[in-house]
Amino acid sequence: MNRLNRLPTLRVNPSEKLTFNYIGSSCQGVKGDTVATALYANDVRIFGRSLKYHRPRGLYSMDGECSNCCVEIDGIPNVRAETTLLRNGMNIRPQNVRKSPDTDIMGFMDKMDWAMPAGFYYRCMHKPAKLWPFFLKQIRKAAGLGRISPDFHMKGRYDEIYPNADVCVIGGGAAGMTAALTAAGQGLRVILLESRPWLGGFFDYRTAEYTPSQEGISRTLCERARELSEQLENAPNVRTFVHTAMIGAYSNNLITAFQTGNKSDAFDERYMEIRAKSVVVATGCIERPLLFDNNDRPGVMQVGCAHRLAQTYGLLPGENAVFSVGHDLGLEAVLDLYDMGVSVACVADVREDGQDPHLLEKLTERKIPFMRGWTAHTAHGSKTLEKVTLSTLSGAQHREFDCDTLVASAGLTPVTGPLTLAQAKLAYDNHTGFFLPEKLPEKMYAAGRMLGLQSPLSIETSGKLAGLSAAADCGTSLEHEIKQTREELRNLAGPVRGSKFVTAPVRGQKSFICFDEDTTVKNIDQAIQAGFDAPELIKRFTAAGTGPGQGGIPGHNLPLLVSQWHTDSGLAVQPTTVRPPLVPTYLATYAGAKHDMCKRTPAYESQKKAGGVMQRAGVWKRARRFSDDIRCQEEVENVRSNVGILDASTLGKFRIFGPDALRALERVYVGDMSKVSEAKIRYSAMCNEDGCLLDDGVVVRRGENDYYFTTSTGRAGQTVEWIRYHARYENWDFSIVNLTDAFGVINLAGPNARKVLEKLTDADVSNAAFPFAGYREFAIRDTIPVRVMRLGFVGELSFELHVPSSFMQTLWELIEDAGKPLGIRNFGLEAQNLLRMEKGHVIIGSESEQRTTLHDLGLGFLWYRDKPQAKTVGAVALRQTEHQEGRLKLIGFRMEDASSRSPKDGSVIVDSTIRGYVCSARHSFALNEPIGMALAEPQLADTDTRLEIFEDSGDDRLYAKVVPMPFYDPEGEKLRI
Amino acid sequence: MFRKSERLWGKAPLMSDYDAVIIGGGLHGLATAYYLARNHGMKNIAVIEKRHIGFGGAGRNTAIVRANQRTKENLSLYKEGLELWPKLTAELDYNLMFYNCGNLNLAHSEAALSAMRMQVASARFFGIESHIADPKECKELVPALNISEDITYPIFGGMYHPPGGIVRHDAVVWGLAKGAAKLGVHIHQGTEVLGINVEKGKITSVETDQGTISTPRVLNAAGGYSASLSYKMLGIHLPVSVLTIQAMVTQPLKPLLDHVVSSGAYHCYANQTLKGEIATGAHMDPWPNYTTQTTAHYIKHQAEALSEFLPCLRGVRFMRIWGGLADMTPDMAPIMDGNDPIEGYYTDCGWGYFGFKSAAVTGKYMAQFMADGECPDMLRPFTLRRFEQHRLMGEMAGTVVYSPWN
Repeated sequence: MNRLNRLPTLRVNPSEKLTFNYIGSSCQGVKGDTVATALYANDVRIFGRSLKYHRPRGLYSMDGECSNCCVEIDGIPNVRAETTLLRNGMNIRPQNVRKSPDTDIMGFMDKMDWAMPAGFYYRCMHKPAKLWPFFLKQIRKAAGLGRISPDFHMKGRYDEIYPNADVCVIGGGAAGMTAALTAAGQGLRVILLESRPWLGGFFDYRTAEYTPSQEGISRTLCERARELSEQLENAPNVRTFVHTAMIGAYSNNLITAFQTGNKSDAFDERYMEIRAKSVVVATGCIERPLLFDNNDRPGVMQVGCAHRLAQTYGLLPGENAVFSVGHDLGLEAVLDLYDMGVSVACVADVREDGQDPHLLEKLTERKIPFMRGWTAHTAHGSKTLEKVTLSTLSGAQHREFDCDTLVASAGLTPVTGPLTLAQAKLAYDNHTGFFLPEKLPEKMYAAGRMLGLQSPLSIETSGKLAGLSAAADCGTSLEHEIKQTREELRNLAGPVRGSKFVTAPVRGQKSFICFDEDTTVKNIDQAIQAGFDAPELIKRFTAAGTGPGQGGIPGHNLPLLVSQWHTDSGLAVQPTTVRPPLVPTYLATYAGAKHDMCKRTPAYESQKKAGGVMQRAGVWKRARRFSDDIRCQEEVENVRSNVGILDASTLGKFRIFGPDALRALERVYVGDMSKVSEAKIRYSAMCNEDGCLLDDGVVVRRGENDYYFTTSTGRAGQTVEWIRYHARYENWDFSIVNLTDAFGVINLAGPNARKVLEKLTDADVSNAAFPFAGYREFAIRDTIPVRVMRLGFVGELSFELHVPSSFMQTLWELIEDAGKPLGIRNFGLEAQNLLRMEKGHVIIGSESEQRTTLHDLGLGFLWYRDKPQAKTVGAVALRQTEHQEGRLKLIGFRMEDASSRSPKDGSVIVDSTIRGYVCSARHSFALNEPIGMALAEPQLADTDTRLEIFEDSGDDRLYAKVVPMPFYDPEGEKLRI
Repeated sequence: MFRKSERLWGKAPLMSDYDAVIIGGGLHGLATAYYLARNHGMKNIAVIEKRHIGFGGAGRNTAIVRANQRTKENLSLYKEGLELWPKLTAELDYNLMFYNCGNLNLAHSEAALSAMRMQVASARFFGIESHIADPKECKELVPALNISEDITYPIFGGMYHPPGGIVRHDAVVWGLAKGAAKLGVHIHQGTEVLGINVEKGKITSVETDQGTISTPRVLNAAGGYSASLSYKMLGIHLPVSVLTIQAMVTQPLKPLLDHVVSSGAYHCYANQTLKGEIATGAHMDPWPNYTTQTTAHYIKHQAEALSEFLPCLRGVRFMRIWGGLADMTPDMAPIMDGNDPIEGYYTDCGWGYFGFKSAAVTGKYMAQFMADGECPDMLRPFTLRRFEQHRLMGEMAGTVVYSPWN
């Protein structure tokens, strides 16, 4: 196809050719082409087939409001050909097509519409029931347009930015540009978003006259647009993002968008979250489709589509055209296309009057037949358009015209999506026929054509007004200017009367209100008959507006149609809900430059080097084990008989200090915190209001009103909040510092632990000087300050060394060196798990769940009941549940047959029903038999009770008996050596 | 299909007297009305709906059904619930589009696998099909899955539950409304309840903006609004936090996912609807509120999560996100209660994530409760008084805190 290559409005460069592949054949487009225009230039008229009826579909709009031109590009389905720029080497395929779009073998489906009334699948296919799986399969096969391979790998670079602005302007047409320039003129930082690759909006492709107020020079709209765009380029504080689609608006003017990158950009698509003080929405209008029979036939297209195809891309839509319009833009398009050489058989206008007389004059000059009060009635042609029947609005008279192009549009519809997303409520405006915002959200303004304005000056002035208002929100005093501009606007042409015509006088079996879902006017009628009153319900029942283009095609027509037909006239005309994203957005784009963020302890590298299998545990990566042996026998035995080190840096670590620090501790810890001393650690627990165990840890006093405490790894993040929350009404004077990342922790454990430590410090760490449960602070190698606790979680002599993170790596290496002659080795989480199990120690979340109280876990002794004045969180519940019956209890068990394997974690304990479950069970090397801990109903809690264990595999039952805990060293002698 | 469409449910004038008034034209309300009429011969029933039926959670959930719950109290209820879908389809003569695709729940740690083992063992003990799948089997079930090590939370295995699937939520709303209306239930849309009157500890009437209704029985099935309704109208405080939960769909695709896939660690589930869209959602924004507004970070989070474990979806576009209200109790199990402390006042709320899959079966038992005045054994564990006794149910293993990523 030849390009018109001398147009001032042209946005392509016909001399720069691009090559692409379409269904196996090599084609050429030019630089600046969209995929749609390139295909059109290669005489592709049928782009794909429709969802249900496999009807041929072609280029209809230019902004991708429907799925007609969704194609597969390089393995990516549902790519909107109209808004995707052509690139060299693209591999393009049609969708929902068997064989080719022209000869789709599923085309017979079009004759099956009688069998598929609205919601037909609800009313049939389930009888007889055994056929349902068959139908289900057919439904799945038929549904969906594009196809993606499960192995598909999305190429490209995806980025994200989070800019701030004083004013964010959405829409780079004349109104938006004026608004941006106005706000920038006040010295404000402005962000302007435009979805097309260039600024200009409705002005960009038009050569009609722009009427300037004072200057005598005549300019076209296109020239004016480029003038404004240049001014913007030179404005110092405006950031203009073209090819950037606004997709979401959230509270406090958070605007989301994504930008499509150029060749020179470091990204293919970039997700944006813009926080603006004030927002101007100047998104203009799209067209409201005209409904008539076969209104989807390739060759039927909207006014802007035909107009822009010619003016922007230099492609004539066809040779013989008929127009059926409802807006002056339609008449303007007639003139331009005629002047470019399209033969126009006839122009029908659904409006009886109100056309611009200058345009009518020009039609007469060109002898183009013009028919007021006429509309397209039926499009003919088996695959593409061949002929059209026009009729009067009532359908009394008909006339036929041969044509290959029918430019049809009922009128305009404002793009109010950004406003409704920001919670503006829309109401029907009878003058424009638009759904317009009744009241705008705070610090948000609308401007331009979307308000129904038509005259270029009105459009720009409304942009100026919005720009000033937005600037005023940012603290500039502009009352006078705003008043003046408002006055100025009042003296200019106001909103134009809009056509309300929706559907030609047809039965509507083949009049498509929604292309994506193949919903016809008749389907809407069927839904109303079935009792669906509101457009929202009709949308659900008929699926109109739920396809890839969402409400782009049916959004405005559906409520208008429903209001026309509805018997219940009291019902207000209501649009259906618009939801984000306003433009379908790749998951890759939303995901952006996602980094895997996790925390590593200061000794991470050392452990990894030692063969540590590092796994994610909450926000941390930790060493699970240090060999391939998942039972970790060597690690465990080395702790029991020699000495091991464990990196416990993930523990929550806090300093709390101030005159009321003790009060705060008393509030959240169940124990008697007043007894916490400087030389001794105190183990205690925190509960929630139900008395259920939330957290445990140790507390020491380091000075007057100054405490240091630890929490479990998982609770570290919540602890500060937890304490603050429970002290919120007290006006207590205390401070908390989260030291979790500031300190590393090494647990040096095993009967030889002291031998290692002694080599590193002059401090007396003998059992007499530093007994079990003691707390000391001293220096390692006279330099490294450590806080040391003698703990017994793993059941051996153990020193827990807390050290500033910066010293952690050094200390780790010193200990490794000192322990080397003894055979010190790392142990990981799995080894620790078994070691602590043998001692009957619980891990929160492993042996406890949200409904287990301190009593249930046998930890009731931690609760100090004589401190009612502390109002300890959970104390009331602990009192109430202390002797409550029927609660799950933590029990220990051994297998009946000591040579049996241990049951799998999570196995359930049963009799005639489920009575409990195994929390953890392992083979104990120290005892040389399996042991386990379980939560079970109280009747099973007595020692020697027989437990029947049912595993997930559902095979043989295992039997165990309840035994007292701890399993290992019940007297705790090993801790006190 | 060759019949002319008839109204699925009629329009009846609001009467001054009903045997039972059900507040809320969602799934639980409609199901209870249906079973009251069907199983208990009660014909004079009103369903009062402020907006239109299915406006709330009923029309906003993602319609996943399954029976592999955690505790025995829930297992038997959900098992019966799952078996109801095909039966209801036949009974209502309305295709509820039960797509029995099975659910695959992914484990990303040893601990998660243990937790799943408990669920699997429990389910199997009750005769509910479920098994642990290793990563290889997971990949066979869902070829799009990324089972490599190089993601944030590598897949350790999963729990596969073949009897689950998805149902068309709107069809259930409309089918139940149709079935109930056919049995004489009056469905009053656009009608708001303004007050509930009690005399001598008994329900006497309900005030609506369309007039007063005398009735001895009221069911509060107002979903996200049930707690505020209960407190405002009767002074009964329910331990319910209302949070916005969001869900979204991609553009429709030809068959890609043959099962519901979910992941706790990623806070994400995904399934392909019969329309071909990938429907996905999961965690909640942690701040209680009564709006159904969506938030920017939610859809981003979802994209990040799916990018990792179903990476082919990076080439697919989200086209719609919406929000709904979830009424959350401290133990994430519902409150089903009645005649306590007010005779004739029944509550069915606090469903949180689980309102859809349970709706039909709950309706059946709530109807029995309301007809007999005696709580059926199936519902006894769900009493409101469990909270004052600190007897939480164990549906959630971990402690529930409404913090980010719960």
